[in-house]
Amino acid sequence: MTAKVDISFTLNGHLKKVSVPADMSALTMLRDMLGMTGTKLACGEGECGACTIMVDGVSLNSCLMYAAECDGRTVLTIEGLRTAAGLDPMQKAFVEKGAIQCGYCMPGMIMQAKYLADTKGKMTHEELQRGLEGNVCRCTGYKKVFDAVAAVVGVTE
Amino acid sequence: MEPIAKKSLIGQRVPKPDAPDKATGRTTYINDMVLPKMLYGKILHAGRPHALIKNIDVSAAKALPGVYAVLTAADVPEMFFGVGRDNRPLKGGKVRCVRDEVAAVAAESEELCDEALRLIKVDYEDLPAVFDPAEGAKEGAPLIHDNKPGNRSLAYQFKHGDVAAAEASSDVVIDSVFNVHYVTHCCMGTSCVIADFDCDGKLTIYSQTQYPYNFKMDLAPALGIHPGDIRVIQPPVGGAFGSKLDVYPFEPVCALLAQAARRPVKLTFSREEEFINAPTRQPVRIHMRTGAKKDGTLTFRKVDCLLNNGAYTSWGPTVPFVMMRTFSSHFRVPNVDIDCRAIYTNNPYAGSFRGYGNVQATYATSIHADMMAEKLGMELLTFSLKNAQKSGEVTPQGARLNECVFAECLQKAADVTDFTAKHARYAAERNKPGRIKRGIGMASSIHNAGGAKIHKSDGCGTMIKLDDYARATVITGASEIGQGIDAVICQVVAEELGIPMSDITIVNNDSAIAPWDVGVHASRTTFIAGNAAQRAARKAREQMLNAASKRANMPADALDLREGWVVHDSDGTPVLKIDKLLREMHFSREPELVMVSEYYEPPSEPENKEHVGDMSAAYSHAVHVAEVEVDTETGEIRIVKFTSVQDVGRVINEMGLEAQLEGGIVMGIGYALSEELKIVNGQVRNPSFRDYKVLTAPEVPPMELHFIESHSSTGPMGAKGIAELPTIVPAPAIANAVYNAIGIRFFDPPMTPEKVARAIWERDSKLAAAE
Amino acid sequence: MVSQATTESQTPQEYAAPSTIEEALRSIADGDATILAGGTDLMLQTKPGGRLPYRRKLVNIRRIAGLRGVGEKDGRISIGALVTITDIANNELLKTAAPVLPQTADCFASGQIRNMGTVGGNICNASPAGDMIVPLLVLDAEVELSAWAKGAVATRLVPLSKFFTGPGRTVKQPNELLTRIVFARPDKKYSVGYIKSGPRPALEISTVSAALSAIRDNDKLSSVRIALGAVGPTVLRAVKAEAYLEGKTVNAQVVAETARLAAEDASPIDDVRATAWYRRHLIQVYVKRLLENDSQG
Repeated sequence: MTAKVDISFTLNGHLKKVSVPADMSALTMLRDMLGMTGTKLACGEGECGACTIMVDGVSLNSCLMYAAECDGRTVLTIEGLRTAAGLDPMQKAFVEKGAIQCGYCMPGMIMQAKYLADTKGKMTHEELQRGLEGNVCRCTGYKKVFDAVAAVVGVTE
Repeated sequence: MEPIAKKSLIGQRVPKPDAPDKATGRTTYINDMVLPKMLYGKILHAGRPHALIKNIDVSAAKALPGVYAVLTAADVPEMFFGVGRDNRPLKGGKVRCVRDEVAAVAAESEELCDEALRLIKVDYEDLPAVFDPAEGAKEGAPLIHDNKPGNRSLAYQFKHGDVAAAEASSDVVIDSVFNVHYVTHCCMGTSCVIADFDCDGKLTIYSQTQYPYNFKMDLAPALGIHPGDIRVIQPPVGGAFGSKLDVYPFEPVCALLAQAARRPVKLTFSREEEFINAPTRQPVRIHMRTGAKKDGTLTFRKVDCLLNNGAYTSWGPTVPFVMMRTFSSHFRVPNVDIDCRAIYTNNPYAGSFRGYGNVQATYATSIHADMMAEKLGMELLTFSLKNAQKSGEVTPQGARLNECVFAECLQKAADVTDFTAKHARYAAERNKPGRIKRGIGMASSIHNAGGAKIHKSDGCGTMIKLDDYARATVITGASEIGQGIDAVICQVVAEELGIPMSDITIVNNDSAIAPWDVGVHASRTTFIAGNAAQRAARKAREQMLNAASKRANMPADALDLREGWVVHDSDGTPVLKIDKLLREMHFSREPELVMVSEYYEPPSEPENKEHVGDMSAAYSHAVHVAEVEVDTETGEIRIVKFTSVQDVGRVINEMGLEAQLEGGIVMGIGYALSEELKIVNGQVRNPSFRDYKVLTAPEVPPMELHFIESHSSTGPMGAKGIAELPTIVPAPAIANAVYNAIGIRFFDPPMTPEKVARAIWERDSKLAAAE
Repeated sequence: MVSQATTESQTPQEYAAPSTIEEALRSIADGDATILAGGTDLMLQTKPGGRLPYRRKLVNIRRIAGLRGVGEKDGRISIGALVTITDIANNELLKTAAPVLPQTADCFASGQIRNMGTVGGNICNASPAGDMIVPLLVLDAEVELSAWAKGAVATRLVPLSKFFTGPGRTVKQPNELLTRIVFARPDKKYSVGYIKSGPRPALEISTVSAALSAIRDNDKLSSVRIALGAVGPTVLRAVKAEAYLEGKTVNAQVVAETARLAAEDASPIDDVRATAWYRRHLIQVYVKRLLENDSQG
């Protein structure tokens, strides 16, 4: 029998208590156990960033994170960015700057952009490009994504 | 009330209406869907290129608790489907490529499916296999399909004029063989389908398809049911790019599982499965011979294309339809002789992919233009302008180039990039010391921009209804796969009806509701669905203005609809609110609702048997200029600047237009530099984003976009279709730039660091040996 | 060392998340445990059909504060096994004392993976292309292995150059934990460089990576160390090239010969990422650039 681990953590501001198989990924827990399908499965191998979430303020690939490792931590997913006040400024910028086409990679892209904004703030264009290197998008060519992040944090050449 | 001035939404920057839901994770993509009582399906793929199936033992899989259905070819009728009607949902007798679907299971979870698949024992006897179409065509080659002698699949020929005479009269002739490679779509949402049968045997299929109506027609023969008994629902998808324009085996397999299990079944590919089993772009060996006079006039093109069909026939081997168009119409070519044939092999097979055929053909025509100009000692711009068609010209295949601004595009591209001066300077600097070499390259192409009449109809149906609150619902056949037709339709309808875009709802995801459309492909949707929406909206507008005319006691043509009001057209004086008008129309003695429909069929014609016909209602051109730096030691190519000039007819949604071009260009750069599905002995060697390299954010060069507005007389508001040219033109522009930098031609993309480094090393070794 | 019976299965049968090194070592003392640090390699390798089955117990060591931190004592720099790649990239001490480590960390996978992945995990994964291993080899680093023996924590130091025995294989025993990495703070005259193949700045399993360190005294080189990644069964030291270069003054001929010898030291293979030819070619290009202090890609 696969070991089960009882964990409790904060998900988008709410306390969650679940029992997860020891080998389950945080992504599977979020999508299949908790119904939080905003976080996407696109490769399951840490190569595309569609599953990016923030844990204790740090962005990571939830497909590579063990669900058990969420124990005691604060998890933020794309659903948690939108508050009663409306869309997060980063979400709003992605909408208004035309960064969203099929949109499948965008929850992960926005979470990574949010992490960059939180940790780096204003950055050079090269830093911005590097900061998004782990997020694959097949629709946009990334240009409108750069525009969106730049609109929020400010980007220097 | 203040007068309301006339304002236009056309040319504005409009966010996609579905963007907020997508940005917040609210959107439920098909990959996110769970239906009550739903089971999961998985397929056992052959994993070997050519083998007899001696025996399949599924007993252990069937016995596994939680497994509801296990199917092999023996359990289902022998039904054929696909473009070549040579494919079956489950393969019996023998397997012809690694993808081949040998068995399938439905179970309570994907993990259980995997476990069940591991329990299925298949005995194979491997057969000699063939992977190269030239080998496959030889006598005595292993036969892939018993009923396809010589492994011959589709073939196409087009001849115009007298190529032999043209060659005899040519001053310069160049001859090259291009080998364009396998790439794949890499949709971020992997292939996924949910099938559900009702008690009457009618199928509801939740599908990623880009062509919901013909999808029914193509899926039915795989299942042996009537197309009318299939309802297609299109939840939001994670990309398509042409990969979902055919039925692929996983779709009927999922339906067969649902039928057997009497439960809804969802089947999703893992990323690895996606790389191995989803369609590719068609690889082609293009042997091209081009002639010209001393003054630069092109005299002929003779082209021989050999296509690796793979084991089955989807849209891939039909790309000559478009390749021939490019060979005969990219520049004015008075004499052409084109021969294309596809040969079955034991490789995986290709489907359609953004730029369909033209990506392949333009790689050859644009590199040959550069080579020819050099050989003639002419500037590329001069040579290109000399051979660029003008408005009103008709190509050998009968394309009437109305509103043709090819020359303007070429001139603009050269002007904004300082092309001619840089091109000469970099060529002169090529042999100076220094490991980094700079180059600039130009390429161009032509593409259909007003649909493509390859089916019996190229039309789109649209219905519009307005409710008592002046909210409009547009029910359109046009599919939304991320490209942004939703925003365009909102703009066009809001423009005609004088209501805010936010008051418009689009319904386009259910074949039981929306009227017919041929599908989202061929750069057609803004043009065709835009026209359909505009025409429908005009009918609604006319009905509303006529009703207002009676109430205002003014002629209808003296009225206009602006910002929710009926106004005097002359000075904008408000007369009546539109919602009030609609209620008065509805709750009157002679009640009327505003609900209109339109079926727009473009004024194009299908090709005849000789492949002649004006098959698109508009054509457009794009010219790309790439400026590159080549590291002559590592072979790495860096794009310093990328410039695009494109005839877009007219800008409708400026932001959506830019986004399509930027995304298309980056896909085209990936095709040129890094993307390649490596298929060796029929096996996909790099089925992961780790080893299949799409462009990532740091590799994206600065892009400069210029739009030329030619105002199509047939397009909605003058617009033309735009979304494929950006993917078609980058690769030869980059190849020409690399030549400008280092003096080496690459006829076989992608230009990976290793390929470039090797070519430089080989040339330098030869030079050293000669000294 | 006594041989220990281990269990291999698709999934772990037990799970533990100790908070101290001692607790962790007791937990893995029977050798029947799979260690979870960052998880970025483990999650993939343990997928059904993957190359690594789980042992009986999954031991998550991420909660152990004693495995974190970068410090310096008596001229020796110590990096805790759980220090993430992002931590290395941002660490002020390392930026001053061994900038090659932050530089390498910056080329490692993606931002998200750098946030999760640990230096200890990268070493224990023992990939022939392991990014952090290459610069640590030229820093002549040692790894500290700890085990629970006779009721106490026992540690041993192993030079990194002796740690790897093959792809995915090391001298670490199943009951041992890699607890930290130590190396002498490089001399001021020390010059170290690192290059990784592109064209992507990161998110790339390197085709070739190379690091070179030496004491440069008026262009005369001593204490030369050259490490190469992705060109053999393990990350390796280019011993012939090192021996040749020792004591030499850099000139065109010396550069060329060092590059040639380094390519000889390697044993690259053809794979889906590159041919052996290209790998040898890049080794020469990179060694040359490192010697000419031209590591700006």
